[in-house]
Amino acid sequence: MPTLTPDIVPGLIATGASARLDEDVAAKFSVGDAVEMKNINPVTHTRLPRYVRGKKGVVERDHGVFAFPDTGAHGLGHKAQHVYSVKFSFRELWGEDHAENMYLYIDMFDDYMKPAL
Amino acid sequence: MNSIHDLGGMDGLGPINPAKDEPCFKDDWERRMFGLFVSCFAGGHYNVDEFRHAIERMDPAHYLETSYYEHWLASLETLLTEKGVVTREELVARKKHIAMEDA
Amino acid sequence: MPHDHSHPHNKPLSDVELRVKALESVLTEKKLIDPEAIDLIVETYETKIGPRNGARVVAKAWTDPAYKARLLSDATAAISELGFSGVQGEDMVVVENTEAVHNIVVCTLCSCYPWPTLGLPPVWYKAAPYRAKVVKDPRGVLEEFGVSLPDETEIRIWDSNAELRYLVLPKRPDGTDDMSEAQLAEIVTRDAMIGTDVLAAH
Repeated sequence: MPTLTPDIVPGLIATGASARLDEDVAAKFSVGDAVEMKNINPVTHTRLPRYVRGKKGVVERDHGVFAFPDTGAHGLGHKAQHVYSVKFSFRELWGEDHAENMYLYIDMFDDYMKPAL
Repeated sequence: MNSIHDLGGMDGLGPINPAKDEPCFKDDWERRMFGLFVSCFAGGHYNVDEFRHAIERMDPAHYLETSYYEHWLASLETLLTEKGVVTREELVARKKHIAMEDA
Repeated sequence: MPHDHSHPHNKPLSDVELRVKALESVLTEKKLIDPEAIDLIVETYETKIGPRNGARVVAKAWTDPAYKARLLSDATAAISELGFSGVQGEDMVVVENTEAVHNIVVCTLCSCYPWPTLGLPPVWYKAAPYRAKVVKDPRGVLEEFGVSLPDETEIRIWDSNAELRYLVLPKRPDGTDDMSEAQLAEIVTRDAMIGTDVLAAH
């Protein structure tokens, strides 16, 4: 790629570089699905934080298809897949002594989730 | 990786201390660092996932002690040397030279 | 070079300053970067991109119900109607604070933040204490910001761990019915658009 020169800067900043991919990939989950985050502990890059691993939530919104960071960080390609907003209660994440009207929403890739039993 | 960057839910890290007013950049080196990050990204030398992963590979104690733009510096040094864009020796020699001129 | 600000010579350059200068110098010599592009990037974020942009989005949403509906259903497109788009705002989501619900945004894994509407994040947003605490004790965090919400208020935390970026649409304060869109934009704070501030009645 060319060296970034001042003439390119305004267009670059105004356009950015979306990680959204124009690829026709089937969604593995639907809005309303009960899901469980996988308990994985890769020594490589992942955007699945420890505090939601093994926790159960509900799919609230399908954001569409994005590049997968876990492969992208290691030269292993986009591995295009859906990203969803998943809702967790604080009680599920932190225990029964937390108020019931508190929730965490986090964006989860298909590869991070399995159906909740 | 299960590194220090994965902070959600950790206790005992101290007060948040939000500043009332703070400038966009505290120091000139932060300005240059920010511009270097954007320039090298636009130049195709790494993607954002590689960039974040290089921060995650920082020494954990150093990670907690340093500001975010210093994390960016560490990441760029790591990635650009790993990818052979620059060498550690080049950076060290140039740093010495600049320090000498500054003295 | 125009960017090379002189510094007082009673203090030697720090290790970090030397490393940044060395990196810029070597990359410039290899013609892999252009220092003038860095000058322009810095100038853009210091003068053109900041929370005043987000405040204009909020004020328009408060005064134009059709715009607010577009903002909540397709935030990226609605925000770009006002000319704000691009790096770290490519895929936006706006969440609305109401009497019943209060939203707060964080990035627990790094420092993801909606640059086109809020500018570059403040130090506290990127530092460990906020990132660690807000997903577990948001009311404690709000207290540190001098904000207290009734127990009945539902709290929603948004961890922007993927490539979606979040902006909070604050609740319009009471006593602002007579204010123009431009006047309303003046009272919207950056922290209210992160969710760590609640705008006071006027």
